[in-house]
Amino acid sequence: MPIVLTVDPRSGVPIYIQLIEQIKRSVAIGILAAGEQLPTVKQLALDLTINPNTVAKAYRDLERDGVIETSPGRGSFVRANGVADSTKAAASDVARDSIESAVREAKSLGLAREDIRALTEAALDRWFPEER
Amino acid sequence: MSTVSIERLRKVYGPFVAVDDLTLTIPSGTVFGLIGPNGAGKTTTFKCMLDLARPTAGTVRYDGVPLQPQAFETIAYVPERSVLYDWMTVAEHIEMQRRTYKAFSPARALELLEEFQIDPKKRARSLSKGMRTATMVALAFAREASLLILDEPTSGLDPINQRSVLNLMINEAARGTTIVFSSHQIGQVERAAERIAIIDRGRIVLEGEVDDLKAGRKIIEGIFPDESWSLDGLDSDRRVARIDRNGRIVRLLSTDAAGDLAARMESLGAVAVRIVDLNLEDIFLYAVSPANETAVVVEETRS
Repeated sequence: MPIVLTVDPRSGVPIYIQLIEQIKRSVAIGILAAGEQLPTVKQLALDLTINPNTVAKAYRDLERDGVIETSPGRGSFVRANGVADSTKAAASDVARDSIESAVREAKSLGLAREDIRALTEAALDRWFPEER
Repeated sequence: MSTVSIERLRKVYGPFVAVDDLTLTIPSGTVFGLIGPNGAGKTTTFKCMLDLARPTAGTVRYDGVPLQPQAFETIAYVPERSVLYDWMTVAEHIEMQRRTYKAFSPARALELLEEFQIDPKKRARSLSKGMRTATMVALAFAREASLLILDEPTSGLDPINQRSVLNLMINEAARGTTIVFSSHQIGQVERAAERIAIIDRGRIVLEGEVDDLKAGRKIIEGIFPDESWSLDGLDSDRRVARIDRNGRIVRLLSTDAAGDLAARMESLGAVAVRIVDLNLEDIFLYAVSPANETAVVVEETRS
C-alpha cells in the first residue's frame, strides 16, 4: 500500500522530524507493515519538494531507531524483525511528547501536581473504563 | 567538486559597502540558501564568487584554490537580471551555449523550455520577465554543472513554474550537485535548502542547517504577576539570543534547550509559560530586525 506522507515546510518543526514522526506513526497504527518498501530518498524528496539530504537524514535516524532497514541497491523497508518493538517504541515516543506538553501547560497555568494527577486519573478512567 | 570557501570578503562601491568582511563555507553537495533584505549584498557576493566583480579584500576559493578559467565549464550561473540578447531567439541562445560549453545538452534545454512552455523560436525581446528567468534556468540546468549559482531563480515565475524550478534543484541535489541560491521567497528556501545564511548589510547575521536552526531557536514566552520581576542571570545565559519585554510579558529567543529555559522562567515566577516554534521566516525576521525599544539583544552579529 502506498503511504501518503506530507510535510509542512513552513512549520517550526524541522522537516526531518516531521518525516520521522509520520513514519513512526504509520508503523505504530499499522499503515506501514513489516517488509513494506519506502519511497527512495530522491523520489520522496521530489514528491514532497524538499531537500534530498533532509529525507536521507530522516531515513538514517529511522534506521538507527530500528524502524526501517536499508539495503544498498534495494531500498529502505520497514523492519521485518522487531516491528512490534519499534511499534511500541514509536507509539511511546508520540504519546510521551503529547503528555509532556499537556503537563507543562497545566503546570504553567498554575495547577499543582495533585490537580494534574487528578485530571490524569480522570482521563485514564474515561479511556480505560474496564480497568477501574 | 567543490567546497566553496569565502573568506573575509569585502566589496565597496565608492562610499557604499556592499559586502563587509563576509566569511562563508559552502560544503560540496549541499543546497545552500542565501537570504537577506534587498541590497544586503547577495548579488555582489555571487559576482565576487564568479570573478565578475573584483573583491576589495578577501578571497574566494574552490577546494582551496582560486577560481580557474577552466572551472567555468562546470559552474552555471543564473543572474538576477536577464543577460539574454534581445535580438536573438531562444534557439540561438541554445546554439551559443552549445558552442561554449562541452557538457551542454541542447536536447535537455529544449525539454526544459517545453516544460516552462517557452517557444524556442521567440526572440528574447518578446519574453516576459518570468519567461526570461525560466529561459536562463533552462540553459543553466542543461549544462550538467557541478556547481549552480542561482540568483533569484524563481523571480517573476508563476507558482507552477516556481515549483518546477524547485524540483529541478532537488533533482540536481540528489545527483550531488552543489547549489547556491538566493530567494526572497523564504518558503522556497525552507523547502529546498539544507543550509542557509542570512545576510544583512553585507554581513552574515546567522548561518546554519535549517533543521538545526528550527530545532534550537524557540521563543519562550511568560507572564510575570507584576512588573517587579527579574531575570536573575537569564539575560546573560548564552542560550538566550534576545529578550523582548513588554510590561509583564517577557519573550526570550533561545538558541538551545528551550525546555530548561522555560523551567527557569517558571521558577522565577512567570506563569502561562509557553514555548513557540519558529519557522524560517520568523527566524529571518528576528535576525534582521532590531529589538523593540525595551528589548535587549544579547546576540551580537557574528564576526
